[in-house]
Parts: sequence; structure tokens; C-alpha cells
Amino acid sequence: MSYAYLFKYIIIGDTGVGKSCLLLQFTDKRFQPVHDLTIGVEFGARMISIDGKQIKLQIWDTAGQESFRSITRSYYRGAAGALLVYDITRRDTFNHLTTWLEDARQHSNSNMVIMLIGNKSDLEARRDVKKEEGEAFAREHGLIFMETSAKTAANVEEAFINTAKEIYQKIQDGVFDINNEANGIKIGPQHSPSNPSMPSGGGNAGPSGNCC
Amino acid sequence: MAFLQWRKFNFFDKETVKDPETNETFNQLKEVNVSACVSGGGQLIVSDYEGKIYFISRSLQVNSFAAYDIRVSHLYQLKQSLSNLLISVGEDEQGVNPLIKVWNLDKMEKGVPVCTRITRAIPANKPTPVTCVAAHENLNWMAVGFENGTVLLFKGDIKSDRHSKQSIVYEGKSAVTGLAFKSAGKNIILFVATESVILSINVSGKDKMQTTLDEFGCKRGCSVMSDMSQDNQFVIARDDALYFYQPDGRGPCLAFEGEKFQLHWFRNYLVIVGKDAKQFPKAPIIRAGQPIEQHMVTVYDIQNKFIAYSAPYPEVIDIISEWGSLYILTGDRKLFLLLEKDTQTKLEMLFKKNNYTLAISLAKSQQYDQEGLVDIFTQYGDHLYFKGDHDGAIDQYIKTIGKLEASYVIRKFLDAQRIHNLTKYLQALHTAKMATEEHTTLLLNCYTKLKDVSKLDEFIMTKDREIDFDKETAIRVCRQAGYYKHALFLANKHNLHEWYLKIQLDDIKDCGKALEYIGKLEFEEAENNVKRYGKILMAERPDETTELLKRLCSDFKPSDRPLVDAGDLEGGKGQQSTQRAPAEQFIHIFVNNSAKLTEFLEHMISLNSNSPSLLYNTLLELYLHDLTHQPKSEEKEAKQKKTIDLLRNPQANYDLDQALVLCQMNNFQLGILYLYEKARLYQQILRYHMDNDAYDLVIQTCNSFGMQDPHLWVQALSYFAKKENLKQQLGVVLHNIDKRNLLPPLLVIQTLAHSPTATLSVIKNYIIRKLQTENDQIAEDERLIKQYQEDTEKKRQQIEELKTTAKVFQNTKCSICNHPLELPSVHFLCEPHSFHQHCFENYAENENECPVCMPENRKIMDIIRAQEHGRDLHETFHNQLERAQDGFSVVADYFGRGVFNKVTLITDSPGRMSRSMSGK
Repeated sequence: MSYAYLFKYIIIGDTGVGKSCLLLQFTDKRFQPVHDLTIGVEFGARMISIDGKQIKLQIWDTAGQESFRSITRSYYRGAAGALLVYDITRRDTFNHLTTWLEDARQHSNSNMVIMLIGNKSDLEARRDVKKEEGEAFAREHGLIFMETSAKTAANVEEAFINTAKEIYQKIQDGVFDINNEANGIKIGPQHSPSNPSMPSGGGNAGPSGNCC
Repeated sequence: MAFLQWRKFNFFDKETVKDPETNETFNQLKEVNVSACVSGGGQLIVSDYEGKIYFISRSLQVNSFAAYDIRVSHLYQLKQSLSNLLISVGEDEQGVNPLIKVWNLDKMEKGVPVCTRITRAIPANKPTPVTCVAAHENLNWMAVGFENGTVLLFKGDIKSDRHSKQSIVYEGKSAVTGLAFKSAGKNIILFVATESVILSINVSGKDKMQTTLDEFGCKRGCSVMSDMSQDNQFVIARDDALYFYQPDGRGPCLAFEGEKFQLHWFRNYLVIVGKDAKQFPKAPIIRAGQPIEQHMVTVYDIQNKFIAYSAPYPEVIDIISEWGSLYILTGDRKLFLLLEKDTQTKLEMLFKKNNYTLAISLAKSQQYDQEGLVDIFTQYGDHLYFKGDHDGAIDQYIKTIGKLEASYVIRKFLDAQRIHNLTKYLQALHTAKMATEEHTTLLLNCYTKLKDVSKLDEFIMTKDREIDFDKETAIRVCRQAGYYKHALFLANKHNLHEWYLKIQLDDIKDCGKALEYIGKLEFEEAENNVKRYGKILMAERPDETTELLKRLCSDFKPSDRPLVDAGDLEGGKGQQSTQRAPAEQFIHIFVNNSAKLTEFLEHMISLNSNSPSLLYNTLLELYLHDLTHQPKSEEKEAKQKKTIDLLRNPQANYDLDQALVLCQMNNFQLGILYLYEKARLYQQILRYHMDNDAYDLVIQTCNSFGMQDPHLWVQALSYFAKKENLKQQLGVVLHNIDKRNLLPPLLVIQTLAHSPTATLSVIKNYIIRKLQTENDQIAEDERLIKQYQEDTEKKRQQIEELKTTAKVFQNTKCSICNHPLELPSVHFLCEPHSFHQHCFENYAENENECPVCMPENRKIMDIIRAQEHGRDLHETFHNQLERAQDGFSVVADYFGRGVFNKVTLITDSPGRMSRSMSGK
């Protein structure tokens, strides 16, 4: 399947906040109540459409365990977007956000779009972190915020697609250098930078980068 | 770091390979200093540092030959390609002088395979040891990696030297540790792993594009090509994790910690030989004075994420897969066999651990057949049900639809009163089109029980949805449960007109909708349904129903269709004549609604004057009924006019008798009279007037119809005779009777004689006139009699004369030729006539008759004969008698003809010839 752009995402957050379930819901549209611990980094992909353009999302689902941190860090580098996930029923996962964010900012490229996700919104009765707190944190750190439920699929699509929209907007604005694959963005096979249908923001990349 | 591993199972059985003949542990490799192991083509191939290659067959027969003079360092077996080729790297001379030899294992000469190629493997004249070798299965690519970091690529047929080109595709700083080919579409990718870097090279492209995949490398033996199930990714193992690579970048990674030595791919398993992360407390096995390290062999199922086998082995040299099993060659030169358990056994193990999810994904990846899967789903469902997780259970049961008996599941959930789950199951059943009538019923009952109208809506009302249930059942259930709207929707959608109307009329009682619906139907359907429901509709909505009927009986078109079909215009005219229903069939619908019936019938008749008589009859009846029950006189008149107009209408095709009866029943005089007249029942008209004592009308009737039926006058006479003071009328009647000579005067007198009022003065004139006529007649008759008598007398005298007196023939001329008579001559008594004999003979038809008188005589004879003949025609007589005005005259006539004569007439003519042959 051909695509105009390929965006690489990474999902990070404490263990057990539902990162793998979010990915499963987004790629397979199903929910697995019992999910094994992620060992290392797993991978999922899905095609979406923004502004009529086919965009392939390549998503790295990382293990939340502290012991895997060194491995997962190496995946930050090539990601254009990150979903930073916490569990609204567990305050400690919210408290660790700062660490995660620092980690992400340190190891990723500076333009990476980070979305803050408060997962398990279906478990309202067991809520431990208020929505306002999440919003405040996001505001403070310049993140996009959303509460989702991988179980009911509420906001899951939106979380991934809104992130993609943000990245797309940044491309349009010329913030991303789309010819540097280390940014986590790849141009589809049939879209060379010299293509006139390219967004204007790609102009600064120049035709000289037409090596790939 | 607890349980940071996948689940562990034991899906392999470990066996020590034994010699089948001696039943002792296989130890023929005991003295072999193994350098490399490969397998393929039905044998295990082992090489040693002495230059020998050993072939081990399945029955453990070991054959060997010397492949190199000094040593063999690497082997590579092409497994998938048709030709059974073995590539070996070794040395024939001392020093660093690696030699590639390609052996064709299919061609053996004296137990030694044919060597098809010998090539030196020295990159750029810098001798360096070979570290790894790989070849593409299409036999066109071969790559050799060296310790100095160079990769030498051979392009062209790997079997022979001739068409092969070699080039250096990569020069790195650290030793090459792994090479693997991969086909990606048209491109051939070569993965290169060195001790410091992982990269992919597109060797089929002109510029041999290199992509650096990672900035760290791997140790020797720690890279392998995965199979299709993992998208042919290049797998490398490092101490911290396993990494997967695509030609264009890094893929997932699996954080399996620990030092790893070897990586193998067997079927869909990744086999890792490594050091156990956890240190065994056991003391290392001491053999021949040297401690032998314990290695951990772990078999991973990457796809389903579990460990299929894990066990320690003493110093694993290599692992080879052949004959569907894994062979592990350990440091003590023992050969172990790992036999994979069959899928059923594996599944049972999983079931025992209630790990159904894994069982399902395992069964799927093992291409397990549908039945087997259903079995797992069922077990899983049962397990969840037992645990009380009904929601989960039903999800599993839904997957069994089509195989597992649905009633099994339904009963389970019915018993447990889990209607929610049951509903879900039944829904799925319907989606899978496996539902029977009962299922539909049950599902709808569930909906109704749950009062879940929205679901019901969704189930039934969703448009453009494929129907996966029995419509009629659904309708029935909806009706029973009182969800008429849904039933109605279904009926409407599926053109179940009968149901629709039944519901609309019986349940919802919305006649307007029903009518509208009928109006949209096709003709036949509409007709039938109107017949069925007409009465109800009429009772509720007379106006609309009448309108519908009007349409139905004129030219019906479904109301939602354009007036003119395109097809009609295109010349299909002949075929599709407008359909109209016979109006008489709908009359019964209008029971109790005569006004509407009248309207309907009037419409019908005005539309088609050629309507059947029943229509007219009914309409007439209605009119008359109206008339009788109409109290107001002005309206009555209008009605009368309408009625009579109907009767007078020449096209009105009513039944005369019935109309008459109707008129009489309703005492509609005008009608009665008109009908009498039409039926030519003049007598009746007369009688009618008489009954009503309408004298003028009696006379008028007689006048009008006297021509057709003269007896009217007679009747009028007797009628008037009975009445008093009706001289004038009587006079008129008498005058007419007289004029037409309808009655013999005697009868007139007799009739009048009975009258109490008719005085002589009334009939004086008549009688006088009659007598006068009679007298005249008598006088005339007498005169005729006299005349005839005289004639008769004359004739008698003549006859007498002829008989008695002589006759003198004095004629001088021949009566024929008018010439003077000459002898011989012939004379006749009649006139007398005389003839020349020759003249007579020429003219006369016979000798006895006078040719002159003959025509006259003949005429008379004919008359007589005719009279005689007529005597026997009794029928004619009677006929004439009946028809004749005056029968008596007929009788007289016949009498005159001698009907009653017994004596037959003398046929001899009075002018009988007396022949005299004078002169003879």
C-alpha cells in the first residue's frame, strides 16, 4: 500500500498503563483484557488519512519496565511522535510523567510531538488522577492531552490521529526536515520532494536532498 | 527482575540419539574435531579441522571423504533450491589461503560428491581468514565475509567459476560475523553483521546502496534469517536483547538478557544457545579433566510469544534441523534429538493451564483446521462460563457459530437467565446467517424482554442491511410483542403486503396508512388486498377507500410511480394494457354505505358505459332506495330524474326484469311505466293505468300502443264498461274498436251488457253503424250469389246443348293458319275451332285438345288441381286460421275448395274433344 508519508511513533509510560492495549485497539480494533508484559519493543502499523493524504503510522510499543529502559531509549531517536501514557487509576504513573518526559526530550529530536494520554477512562469509579490535573500537566509542558479507554476504544483513534495531524501541520509549517529520516518521517515511494504537490513547507529542504 | 520472560512450556521431547542397530548412544563422531555442521537433502553434514566432511544419514550411517588437504572451516547448504549443493570453505595449503569448493551432492563418484567449482577467497589480494559464508537460494549470489571486515560478493552461477564475477561490496573495520540474503521484490538484499555494525546492502542495485541499520554489531553465529512468519527479518542477538531488522531499518526488539552464542531458525521457532542468565548452583560437569560449560538451549515462538522449550546442555557445538526435528550436537560429541510435540498435545497442555488465548493463537499459526479451532473456542467458552465470565464466554461461543450446535450455547444462557449474552450470541448467529426461525424468535423475544427498543430498532430498522433472519417469523414475534412499528417496517421493506395490511389494520388500526400502502402496490396485489380488507377500510375511511377503488377499477398504477412508464412509451404498448379490476367484485365492500357506493358506481359507469349489468342494477337499486327514503320532495324530484335518466340511458345495461322488480318494490311509477314500455308490456301499462283509474292515460296508452297491440282497446272497452259515467271514453274506445274492426259487434254488446252504466245511447251510434254495414254486406253478397247462380245456369245449358244437339262446323278458315279450310280437317266442339289436319298436327300437343282453347283449359284445370291439393295441407290451414283476422272466412275459403268434399272432382274437361274425321 502506497503512502504519502510515514510517521514513526513511540508509546511510552509506566508499566501496566495500557500502552500495548492502546496499540492493539488502534491497529486491530480489539481489546485483550489479559495482556502479557511487553518484553522489549513491539511494533504495529496502520494507515490513516489526513487531508486526503494516506499516511502510514509505524508505532513502537515499548516496555514500561525500568529494566528495559536502556533498550527502549534507543527507539526515541527516530520517532516523530510520542504517546506518553499514564493510568488515571494509579497516581504513581502520573507522578512518573516528569521522568518520562525528561527522558523523551533528552533522547528524541526536539520537534517530536508528544501527546499526553490518560488511559483507562472507562474505570471512572477507580479514578485517582483528575482530568484537570492531566490538563494542567499538559499545559505546563506544552503537550496535547486526551483521556482514552483502550477497552471501550474511546478517543483511541483520536489520540493517534490528532498526533499525526500535529506532525502533519509541523511539516506544513516547515518545522520538520522531512528529508532527515532521523526525524521519524519518511516520504512515500511516489512522493519525491521535487513533486509540485508537496506542501510548501518542504521547499526549504531543496531539491538537492533528492538522493533517496 | 521477576518474570521478565515469556511463558515457558515444554513443547519438545528430548531424546538422546541412539544407534538403531546397537541401541547404544550414537558416538561415531566421538573423535571428530567438528568445525561446522549443516543439514539438508536428507542428511546431516559435519566437517572437521582435518579436512574431512562427514555425511550422517537418518539411520545414522556415517560416510566421510576428504574435502580439503588441511581443514574445513565453513559449510553452507542450500536447502530450498532443487539442486543439492554444499558450499564449503577450507584450506588445501598452509597459511591463510581459503578455498571455496562447491559440491554437488546429487552426483556421487565413488562415495565422493562431484566438486563443481574451486575458487580462491582472497579479497583484494589481502589474505585474511573467512568468517562466514552465505548464498542466495536462486544460486546466483554468494557472499563471503572475512575477518578484516571485507565482504566479497560472487554474482553469477555459484556452481561454476566461469560466469561468476566477484566484487567487494563492503569494507569495514571489524570482522564480519554474519551474512544473509533476502529477496525484497526485485531487489536482492544482503544483510551484513560485523562486530560493530549491522547494515543491509542492495546488491542487485547498480550503486549497491548500503543502509546502516545499527551502530553496534554482534558476535559470530549470533545472527540468523527469520522465516516468512516474521517477514524474513534479519535477527541478531546481543547480550541485552534480540533485534530484528528490515532492510530499511530496525524492527522490534525482544529484551532477552544473557550472553548468547548461537542463533538458529527452525520452522517458526527461534532457537538460541546461550548462557543461562541465572547461574546454576550445580557444579560444572567435569569431563576428561576439563570443565565443560553448561549452555542453555531455548526455543522461542516469536509469533505467539512464548518459550516452547528450554533446557541446559553441556557445551553445545551446533544445532541442526533435519527430518522435522532439531539435533543438538554437544561438546561431549553426543547427539540429542528434540522432537516437537504434535499440536494436539500442545493444545492439551495449554488447556490444562487454562491458557486458551494462547492455544487459539497457536492453533491458528499451526494452520489448524476450523473444526479444531471451534473445539478450542468451545472449551474456552465453557471455561469462562464456568468461571462466571459470561461476557467473555459468549465472545468465544460466537466464534463457534456454524460448527457448534447453537442450542448448546442457547440452553446454557437461557438456564442462567443471561439474556444480555444470549442476545449477543443470537445477533452474531444472525450475522453469520446461521439463524433458524426459532433463533429469530428467541432473539426478538430477548429484545422485547429487555425492552431494548434501540437494539430492536437496529436489528430491524437498519436500512440497507442484509437480511439474516426469517422475515415472517420476525414479523410474527414483533406483532405478538406489540412492536407493531417494527413488524410494519419489516413487512413494508420485504413486500409482505398481507402482513403489512394485517398489522396496519388489525393492530394499529391505521386505515389511512393501509390505504396509502395498497395504493402503492402492484395491481394484482392491490386488488386482492382490497377484496380482503375492503370492508374494514370502508367502514373506517369511506372517502379514501372509494377513491382507491375508483382508481383500481379504472386504470390502476401504483401511486408512487410516474404516470407513464418509460417502457410504455417505447412501444411496449401492446403488452401492457392498463389493468382494471371488475367493479362488481367490490360492491359488497360498500355494505352500509350506499352513498359511497352510489358515488363509486356513478364514477364507474361514467367511465365505462359498457359496464356489466350488475353495476347498473345495483346503482338503480340504490337510487330507488334513496328515493323511497327521501322525505323532501324537491330532492325527490331530482332523484327521480336521475333514476329515470339512468333507466332511459340507452347504454345502461341493466337487467330489465330485475329493474322492474326493483321499481315495483319501491313503487317507482315512472320507472315501472318506462320499463313496461321498454319491455313492450303494453298490457301491463294499461293495467297499471287502469289500476290507477287514470282514464286519460288509458286512452293515451291505447292510442300510443294500439298499433302494436290492438287488444288494448278491447281491454279498455271492458274496463270502461265496468266504470260509470265514462261515455266519452267509451265512445272513443268504441270508435277505435270499430275503426280497427277489433271485435265482432256481438262481443262488444256482450261486454257492454255486463256494464251497469253503459246505456243504449252510448252504443246506439255504434250499433246502427254496425248494422248498416252488415246490411250493406248482406246486399252485396246476395247480389253476388245471384250473379253466380246465373253463370252456373248458363254453363249447364251449354253442357246440355253439347250433349244433345249437333254441332255444325261452319268455319271456313283454319284457326291456325287462317287459310281457307281444306280437307282433311279437324274440328273441335269447343268454340267450334277447325284446323287443317297438318296444321293441327304441327301445333297440337296431343290429339284430344284444341290448341286454341288449351291454354284457357289448362288454367282452369290448374286451379281445380290446386284446390284439391290444398285440401290436405292441414297445417297451412290451421296456420292461416290462427293468423287470419276473421277465421270464419278462412274456413269458408277451404270449404269452398272442397276440403270437406268426399267426391273427387271429375277431371274430364267439359270441352271434351269430339273428333270427326270428316271424309273418313
